[in-house]
Parts: sequence; structure tokens; C-alpha cells
Amino acid sequence: MENCLGVINIGEGEGNFGSLCKNRPVYMLPFGGRYRLIDFTISNMVNYGIRTVAVFTGEKIRSTMDHLGNGKPWDLNRRFNGLFLFPPIQKPFGRNGDIAELYSTFDFFEQCKEEYVLIVHPNNIGSVNLNEAYKKFIETDADITLFYKKQIDPWGEYINCDKILLDRNNGFINMGLNLGTEKEFNMFIGMGFIKKKVLMEIVKKSMENGDANYLKQSILISKDRYKINTYEFKGHIEHINNIKSYYNANLNLLNKDISQELFFGGGPVFTKAKDEPSTLYTETSRVHNSLIANGCIIEGSVENSIIFRGVKIGKNAIVKNSILMQKSEVLENAIVVNTIMDKYSIIDRGIRLAGSSVMPYVVEKSQTIRKE
Amino acid sequence: MENKVVAMLLAGGQGSRLKALTRKIAKPAVPFGGKYRIIDFALSNAANSGISDIGILTQYKPYLLNTHIGIGTAWDYDRNVGGLRVLPPFTSEDGGRWYTGTANAIYENIDYIDELDPQYVLILSGDHIYKMDYRQLLKAHKEKGADVTIAVIEVPWEEASRFGIINVDDNKKVVEFDEKPKNPKNNMASMGIYMFNWKHLRKYLIKDSKDKESAHDFGKNILPNMLSEGRLMYAWSFDGYWKDVGTVRSYWEANMDLIDRDNALNIYDKGWRIYTKSKNLPPHYLSRSSVVKNSLINEGCVVRGEVHNSVLFSEVIIESGAVVTNSVVLSNSKIMPGAEVHNAVILEGVTIKEGERIGEEGDGNIYLVTEKGYTIE
Repeated sequence: MENCLGVINIGEGEGNFGSLCKNRPVYMLPFGGRYRLIDFTISNMVNYGIRTVAVFTGEKIRSTMDHLGNGKPWDLNRRFNGLFLFPPIQKPFGRNGDIAELYSTFDFFEQCKEEYVLIVHPNNIGSVNLNEAYKKFIETDADITLFYKKQIDPWGEYINCDKILLDRNNGFINMGLNLGTEKEFNMFIGMGFIKKKVLMEIVKKSMENGDANYLKQSILISKDRYKINTYEFKGHIEHINNIKSYYNANLNLLNKDISQELFFGGGPVFTKAKDEPSTLYTETSRVHNSLIANGCIIEGSVENSIIFRGVKIGKNAIVKNSILMQKSEVLENAIVVNTIMDKYSIIDRGIRLAGSSVMPYVVEKSQTIRKE
Repeated sequence: MENKVVAMLLAGGQGSRLKALTRKIAKPAVPFGGKYRIIDFALSNAANSGISDIGILTQYKPYLLNTHIGIGTAWDYDRNVGGLRVLPPFTSEDGGRWYTGTANAIYENIDYIDELDPQYVLILSGDHIYKMDYRQLLKAHKEKGADVTIAVIEVPWEEASRFGIINVDDNKKVVEFDEKPKNPKNNMASMGIYMFNWKHLRKYLIKDSKDKESAHDFGKNILPNMLSEGRLMYAWSFDGYWKDVGTVRSYWEANMDLIDRDNALNIYDKGWRIYTKSKNLPPHYLSRSSVVKNSLINEGCVVRGEVHNSVLFSEVIIESGAVVTNSVVLSNSKIMPGAEVHNAVILEGVTIKEGERIGEEGDGNIYLVTEKGYTIE
């Protein structure tokens, strides 16, 4: 895949994540005990041999800079190729949207030797076999290959997700919105291959004609001029577009098959190392069905939870169905149920905190919850 | 440059008393404490002490050690100026030779040190578990105006004859140096950590290299020679945690020490982190049926059975119905359903079969388990 460039682009909108995304973009949300969402996308790319990765960071760039840095954890700190971060510029050419952003980085696309581009929306977590998809893209000589998954959705959890319409021969017709009218639909998973030449053409045209602000729109407008086909991804995908889906995606890792696939499916998931020692369990600890990262000291009870690096859980404390991010603490006798605790937050002694299983309670970053 | 220190880390040790643990690797590369290797402690100490140049003397089965150290990235030693150099034995016009002793290893690398032109050379050993601020040692060295300062620690009297024993006067000045004495007069043991003034050490190394009778060893030759010629030699007492994991039992003990929440080594100390090469593994998973008490568990493990008073390294699998107590289980080992393991050190990648039993609780033995079976220590 040396001839393919990786582009990470958040496209339209970010969804509503409340305080969790006050200071971080959605793709920087902590995930799975020690990762950020974007780690999965970048690792997936480098594990399949993509050597140049460009990230359109969006506005909340500080956590991105801190985490991605020069790309070392992903071996993207290279003399040739490597990681390119594109911070936003204020309304490039007086326009909103990623078309203008892409247009503002034309030099980069022109200078890259790669002829093909893999564009990924980083809020989709999955271990996608890129070799297989790339092969189809190249063999069919498509201009664009869009990835979809047959998603069964009896509860309407995927309403408002992008839906791919196919004809009888599985030919691409159009992309629309899932309104929940069918039990199963073809969900667009925010990934696609595109010829670099075609991408630049589309972007340029939309800049010129002013007919679209977003790449997705732009592609659909010119869909009859290009050869667009699809690739069906059959594995597990987490589409993270709100607090609830973020919470569920984390807890889904307690399912053995899902965690196996995401963590080991296509090679290791790389992230910034933190040098935490192993986790210490004391005589009073009781832990069931939980994923626990390094550097924790656990003296209380934990059940159905995801515990990030360096978390402390005191004696007789109970943590259930919760996500405890890096360095958060639950002190003695406190009870935390159906809750997301952001980094460095503290639940004081004896406090009881519970969200509902439908919507978790969110403790803000660095917040301490105590009586009075 | 004034006050410049170059550290020379002796990492060629075979560690034959660790038996199967060092079958394929040098002692400094032996895994320790869930995610570390023994050498991580000396390397992290050096990095945390602000030492910018470190030479690592390798010799015995160095493949894994070299892979682990790499270019020193984990300890921030991949630098433009200074940094880490791996120094294996080499050949020259007058033939090739292995390092024949600790002093000889330094002698063979005089060129490396000369090029850096330091005022002080700090000799370290890669096979001890401890946290030490070498700046304190340097401070004491400078305050006394010493030619050499030796870090010493009080060891149990019954073990004193295993060590180089230092006899000092009231001013901590060394008066006598006993290498592994039968009847020690003292229990102040040399930690194998020496701060030398380079210009003096250099002379003694050259002189020693010409002495055919010499064992080319710091403890046996260099230090006694310097003392007999009246060089100013002082002892500097260290009172923190220090363990020479020389035997399977002391290796097991040092791992077990970490389980105590208030242990003196405290690897959770953010002011003095121990760094190591990252393995990129996901968090560990404890299932509904798991029971984990008083244990240290590292990334990538899956526990469905019972674990008591044990240290699990990375990617260890404990199946349901299996019981592990008072044991150290190295990476990628598997304990199958219904198996029981007590007081054991299980090597990397070993599978304990279904229903198999190793060790007895409280029998006082340590069982060293390889894929071929176990030996009793």
C-alpha cells in the first residue's frame, strides 16, 4: 500500500458529547483503557503499510498535538513520508467545510508521490483489512470505493447514520440518511479509497462552483462522472457519534470476540506510552468482567467497567458499569454506577453516584465530587 | 566540561545462578516486576539523575539485551549530543578478545571515554534492583575531594561473605577492602557502584592491563591497588531498597516484594519513574469468575481463575478453575483449567497443562518451571 496516502478527516459535524469534548475533538476521546479513538485509525493504516498519514485536526488542537506529536508511537516520525498535521485555518477562502480545508493543502497532495488516498473518519473504530479493500479498489479500477457494513438495528440506535443505497447487482446508487425504516441497512463506515487525481478534481470543482462545502456532498454531486463502487466490511465497527454510543463502544470491549478483533485483528494498536507499572490488587479487591490498564491500585470492587491508566479505587468502594479515565480516583466507601469519569476526576469518600443504563452520568475532567 | 560524568554500565553478566532464567539472555535482560527488565533500573536511575552519556558494556548473549536497549529511546537516550552507546567486545590489530573482567571492560573502551573527556566516570552494574540518585553520590564524592567513592549498603551479616566488604574509619574513609571475605569484619557491602576521577582511573586501568597476574577486576585489583597507593577512597552509604537478584530465590523474593503496597522500592513513585520499552498491549481482562488478591498484573493478561500473592507479566492467561499462589509468571505463559501452581517461577511461554499441580503451599521451596518441567530451589 506504499502507493496510498492516509487522510484522517472529520468532515461534517462532531455530534454532541457535552463536557467530554469541551477541550478535545471526538477522535481524541479516551477509549479501551489506554487508547484514544484516533489510535485505532492510525494503527490500522500503518499496520497495512500506509507510510504517509495526514490528519486534519479540527479546532481543539492541543490534545491532538500532545498525543500525536511527531508520530513516533506509530513509527510515523520518518525522514521520508510520515505524519502531517493540518491545523485549521480561519475559514479558508471565506468558506466553511472540509472542501476549503483540503483545497488549502493542495501543495501537500501535489507533492506526495502516492497516487491513491484512503480517507477515514476517525470516529469509526474497526479492524478493517485494508489489503483486501485496496485490492478490490485497484482491480476494479474504481475512482472511488466506499466502505459499508450491513448493520442490523432493531432499536433504532443508528438513526441519522449515513446509508448506502445499492442496486440489485450491488452497484452504488447513492448515499442517504438512515431513518430507521428498515431493520437492516448498509451503513457507510466513514472510509473510502479515492484516486488522488479524482480527489483533487472534485475539490477544485466544488471550490470553483461553490456547490458543496463538504467532501461527501461534493462526491455525491459528481457521482455520475466517476466510477464509484463499494466494499463490504464484515467485521465489527463502533460508530461513535454521541455519549451513549461512546459509552457502549467502551463496554463492548468486555465482549471477548469484540476485544480480540479490535485489539489483535490487524496487528497491534499503538499509542503514546505512559510508563506506568503493573496494576496492584490488594487483599480487599474484587474485580469482575473488567478491562484494567496499568498503573492502577485497586482495593475496592469493580464490575463491568473499563479502567484507564493510573486509576485508584479505595477500600469498600464500588465501581459498576462505568468508564474511569486516566488518573481518576474513587475514594473509600464511594459508589459509582453507570458513570463516565473524565481524567483526573475524584469521587470523595462515601459519595454515591449513579447514571442510568440508558444515559451515563458524566464527571467532568479534574472535577472533585464531595459532600457540601 | 566541569562536573561531567560518563556512566559505564556493566551489562555482560551471565548470572549463571539464575539457571534457566539466563539460559538465553544476559542477567541484565532478565524480566522483572511485571513489565521491566533488570537493567531498566540502572538505566532509569541514570536518566533520572541527569547523566547524559552512558556506555553499555555487553558481552554474554546480548541479542535480547540489545533489542531491549535499542538506541535508548525508552530512557530518552536517543540524542543528538551524548546519549547511549552499546559497547561490545571487539578486535583490533593485536587480535580480538572478550572482556576478561570488569576493569578490563572499561580499559578496552578508554577511547570512548577519552573522546567524551569527562571529569568523572561512574561505574554501574546492570543486575541490581534499586532506585538511586547518582547526583547524591557525586555530591559526596566532590565534598570529600575523593579519588574514588564507593556506594555501600548494609547487608545481613550472614550474607556478608558474598560481597566485597568495605572497612572504613570514622570519617567514612576506606581503610581496607575485603573481596568476599570468609570472616567479614563488617556488613557494609560494596554495591558495585563507583565514582572515579577519570584521570586517576585511567592510569590504574592502563597499569592493570599490563599486569599478567591481575584478574582485571575492580573489586579484586583496581580498588585494592588504589588503596595501597594511598588514593583517597571514601564510602557513601545508601539506605534505600537494593537487591542483587543473584539466585532464583532472591529473584522470586524481589518480585514478591513489589506486592506489598508499602514496599521500599515503590515503583509507583512519579518523581522517580522506571522506564522500559513499550510492548503496545491492551489492558488486562479479569473475567466474571476471576479472583485476584494481593497481586501485580500487567498488560495483555486474561484471568479467569484465581491469583493470590503473585506477579503476572504480560499476556499471561489464567484459565478458569486454575489457581496460582505465591508465584512469578513470566510473559505469554498459560495456566490451563484446573491446574495449580504454588511458590513458582514460571518462565516465558510455558503452558501448565490441565489439572497439573506444581508446588505445595507453604513447603518453603521455590519451583523453577520451564517447558521441560521443573526444578526445586
